[in-house]
Amino acid sequence: MEKKRATEERRKFLKVTLGAFLSGALTSSCDLSRLKNPKTMVKSPIGPNILRPPGAVPEEHFAQKCIRCGRCGEVCPYHCIKYFDVKDGGVFSGTPYVNVMEKPCYLCMKCVYVCPTGSLVPCAKEDVRMGVAVINRQICVTWQQDKTGLMCKTCFSVCPFSGVAIKIDHDFRPYIVEEYCTGCGICAYSCIADTWYENNGKKAITIMPIKWKKIKEIKLEDIKKS
Amino acid sequence: MGIGRRDFLKKSAALTAASLVGINLNIKKDGVTLGESASAGENLMRIPEEVKNSPAYKQEGGYTWVRGVCRFCGTGCKVWLGFKDGKPAVIRGERNSAINFGFLCMKGMLFYKLFRHPDRLTQPLYRKSKKEPFRPISWEKAYEIIADEMIKAIKKGEWTPYGWSGIAYYGSGQALTEETYLFQKLFRCIGTNNVEGNPRLCMASAVGGYLTSFGTDEPAGGYADFDKAQTIFIIGSNTAECHPILYRRIMHNKLKNPGGYMVINVDPRISPTSKIADIHMQFKPGTDLALLNALAHVIVNEGLYDKEFVSKYCAFHIYTKGRDKNPLLGHQVSFEEYKRFLSKYTPEYAAQICGGNITPEMIRKVARRFATTRTVSIWTMGLNQRTRGVWVNNLVTNLHLLTGNICKDGADALSLTGQPNACGGVREGGGLCHILPGHRIVKSKEDRESLEKIWGVPKGTIPPKPGYHTVKMFSAISYTEQDRKRFPGLKPIHFIWIEETSPLQSLPNVRRFREGFARDDVFVVVNEIFPTRTTEFANLILPTPFHFEKTGVYGCTERRSQLTPVAVKAPGSCRPELQIIVEFAQVLAKKLKRERDPRLRARAHTVYQCVAPFIEAAKKDPWWELAKAVWTEYAQHVTKGRDSTLAGATYEVLLERPDGVQWPAPTVEIARKGGTLRRFVVGKDPLATEFVKKHHLEGWEVVDYGHLHCLPTLPPESRYRFWIWLRPYKGPAEPPDAEYPFVLSTGRVIDMWHTASMTGRILELASDYPYAWVEINPKDAQRLGIQPGDLVLIETRRGKNIIPARISTDEGPMEGMVFVYWYDQEKHRMINFCTLDAFDPGSKQPEFKICACRIKKYAPAQPLKQYLVKLVKVKGGYLHNAELDPNER
Repeated sequence: MEKKRATEERRKFLKVTLGAFLSGALTSSCDLSRLKNPKTMVKSPIGPNILRPPGAVPEEHFAQKCIRCGRCGEVCPYHCIKYFDVKDGGVFSGTPYVNVMEKPCYLCMKCVYVCPTGSLVPCAKEDVRMGVAVINRQICVTWQQDKTGLMCKTCFSVCPFSGVAIKIDHDFRPYIVEEYCTGCGICAYSCIADTWYENNGKKAITIMPIKWKKIKEIKLEDIKKS
Repeated sequence: MGIGRRDFLKKSAALTAASLVGINLNIKKDGVTLGESASAGENLMRIPEEVKNSPAYKQEGGYTWVRGVCRFCGTGCKVWLGFKDGKPAVIRGERNSAINFGFLCMKGMLFYKLFRHPDRLTQPLYRKSKKEPFRPISWEKAYEIIADEMIKAIKKGEWTPYGWSGIAYYGSGQALTEETYLFQKLFRCIGTNNVEGNPRLCMASAVGGYLTSFGTDEPAGGYADFDKAQTIFIIGSNTAECHPILYRRIMHNKLKNPGGYMVINVDPRISPTSKIADIHMQFKPGTDLALLNALAHVIVNEGLYDKEFVSKYCAFHIYTKGRDKNPLLGHQVSFEEYKRFLSKYTPEYAAQICGGNITPEMIRKVARRFATTRTVSIWTMGLNQRTRGVWVNNLVTNLHLLTGNICKDGADALSLTGQPNACGGVREGGGLCHILPGHRIVKSKEDRESLEKIWGVPKGTIPPKPGYHTVKMFSAISYTEQDRKRFPGLKPIHFIWIEETSPLQSLPNVRRFREGFARDDVFVVVNEIFPTRTTEFANLILPTPFHFEKTGVYGCTERRSQLTPVAVKAPGSCRPELQIIVEFAQVLAKKLKRERDPRLRARAHTVYQCVAPFIEAAKKDPWWELAKAVWTEYAQHVTKGRDSTLAGATYEVLLERPDGVQWPAPTVEIARKGGTLRRFVVGKDPLATEFVKKHHLEGWEVVDYGHLHCLPTLPPESRYRFWIWLRPYKGPAEPPDAEYPFVLSTGRVIDMWHTASMTGRILELASDYPYAWVEINPKDAQRLGIQPGDLVLIETRRGKNIIPARISTDEGPMEGMVFVYWYDQEKHRMINFCTLDAFDPGSKQPEFKICACRIKKYAPAQPLKQYLVKLVKVKGGYLHNAELDPNER
């Protein structure tokens, strides 16, 4: 009994020292006040428009699998793969991401072949599911064409799967076919709704990250919820 | 000493952490966006009082709005430019306009970003030799230099039947009507017919087509016909990308009448336009003449033609070389002869020639639909940019004349213009070597004299022969052995004034022209707002105002003229072209007076007389009053009594109307109502009504009063009638062969305008289309092992390009054809190094659309950057970045 308590004590002590050591190591190199929220140490920084590169394993496994070797970013010809900082998310620091608002993924599929750990799984272009594009119809100048009188087809014409992943209806209003959207973000990057004077610089398309498992059976309701 | 294990671990951990932190440096983007380089608080508005007191001005929602026309394509959308805090901040469509109903595409919505763009040219730049850097000079000095160089070039050349051979003017379908009119007036008064413009590259075949079929240029109907039509026959046009507002109108009509509205798209490429097509006819490039003749064959043989219309209002004509003197007139033949001529073009025969997906059954089906419903045909460069552009234009009009699908609601043969003012400025304003303003022609003595009388210059001022057409003009500048062989008797040109266009990117087979321009014995003056592929070879660059920074009229496809008033202050020392011409002409007149040669001395008077009516207005207010004075002369005097009369369309009326005026508009009352929608119809067209009365043609409902079809020498059965032309099938100038097995075709993309000197500088558009690409059929791509994004080497007999590939399964060219967009300024992606400069013998329009090429994979996909020609500061002045980069020369 006593032995068991002693073990627990020891375990507790070890945990505390480890924590202290870790925080010490981190504070020595970076200012902790820069951390937006201490919770971000463990919360995934993946979110709207901040996505994993193509072929990534589910987010709950990614940080464990990825060894932060940086090869994906090295091989990316468009320099769109960036790495998380400590301040973005402690345990996720050093893992790759794509910020589609800065530079979207052009689906060249080079990164998946250099990944040594299988964090990025090789797959075909059309099978990539980095996320799914969601159109804000209140912002989209073509959806609001009664007000704006504009016929923008930009997202439609830049989409690598135009006519499949993005379609336009009879009034040129774009809509996303979630089943085929790769989440590459080219449409969100190119969206020019922000230039319309009543939109205050907001873009009409956001790429929402989705879970790997749900790729095939994802439904509109799910996206609305997310 | 030594480092402890724990210390080592600690330090290395810290190091790792630091390196991780260092990876991601979030460098914020520069906050400066385009179009805002004016200092804060500066008021950029320059709105004339007359505009402020008109319906073209309003205050709404905290914005000040001024109404004008869109700067880009030939649709002619009416726009409102909005100012916030004295700066241009937004563009939106005019809802009351009968053209766009408030709709705009992205180019139109975003061009306000080009006011005060940091790349704008703001001062005259000069260099003596093309190897030196440019130095800023004053306007007065610039005028002196131009005048000296011009006189030098005149003396180097000689006097010919078309005037001085040493000088030339090359204008643009994007210049305002006033500018083209005054420029050509100046050059005719100096004494040369070397007056050309880029519409030669885009509209000349349509001019030839209308001139031969109707006897006068420009279509009979307008866009309103889309709403009443039942069939839209689109041939050689990617309307969805090049005229998106019209495409929307067609699409909406189709949706409104399910089953009752058919769209037929005829194109070797499956383009975005094909998406709304019920029938897509895909034929081998260059076989359209056979296809159209086969359609006529079905219509005639099945008796589907409108017998009454054909017998009453049509005549049949053919041109036989050797027998007929004038190719515009040919000689008359009978209907039986026409039938015999068509007998060869059975649907089976045509289907065999056309290839693609064309079947005899399809041809029959389309012909029946065409004949039995109200049909509007629309076409653009697919037909015009051909070595038989005039013929193929005739054949489309033939179908309409045969079936009576013309001069009624919902039926018209409508050639869409590419440029905003190719119709208004150049075709009506006399901006080509063989025409004079007001639909006059150079060869006609009567036309020349009437114009000289209006201008108040001595008889014989305008030389009697047409000058050099575009390809010949630029060949006279490059003037190589090959050029001299191609055009016997070619005389070199030593001075060219280029206005608002970039021919050294847009001409076909541009390499040899670029080499010619690089020589120092050609003095090049360019009016521009941005550095381009042409200013690169300039001696003198004159900075001019952008759209809405000067006043003028644009005339769009459907004979509609619309006014854009000045609203924004131009940057730096920019001067409007009209002011440049007026001031320069005075300097030139002074210099000519001092010349020894009496022929030159005599020109001093005509040159001064040319601008004399505008000198006062130019001094008073060059931004508004001057343009008004020039327009008044053009509309009230030059077009008065002509078929393109705009006498009623004063600036007041144009400011009032939300959608401009369609000529003929002989009186202010007619102009106030919008002019004439339907030409040639008695009762609807005031000129036709008058004509019928004058010539006692009782019972005629439709009359062709085109001047070529009213000549007294014509047989009475052809006079006052539309002409159906017999045009045989002829293939392209350079068909593919074993060595060059592919057909190369070029075109435009929705968000990029021509050479991208403007749209390439709008960040939002440029980020979507940073570089051009080649579209390849998936089957060809698979055969050649080309993956999407791979760099492809395109070679023709004239040059080569390295362009990334795009392969789409649902869109793109047919097998054996590649399609390239021509807006890119990067040398290796400038497709005009490859295109062919063979031209139509009638219209002299080059065949951009078809030439033979071969392709192969060059390198795997790699990221490419946008390339724009810019000025950079160097020791002793400015140079273009392209001039410093050996890869770009």
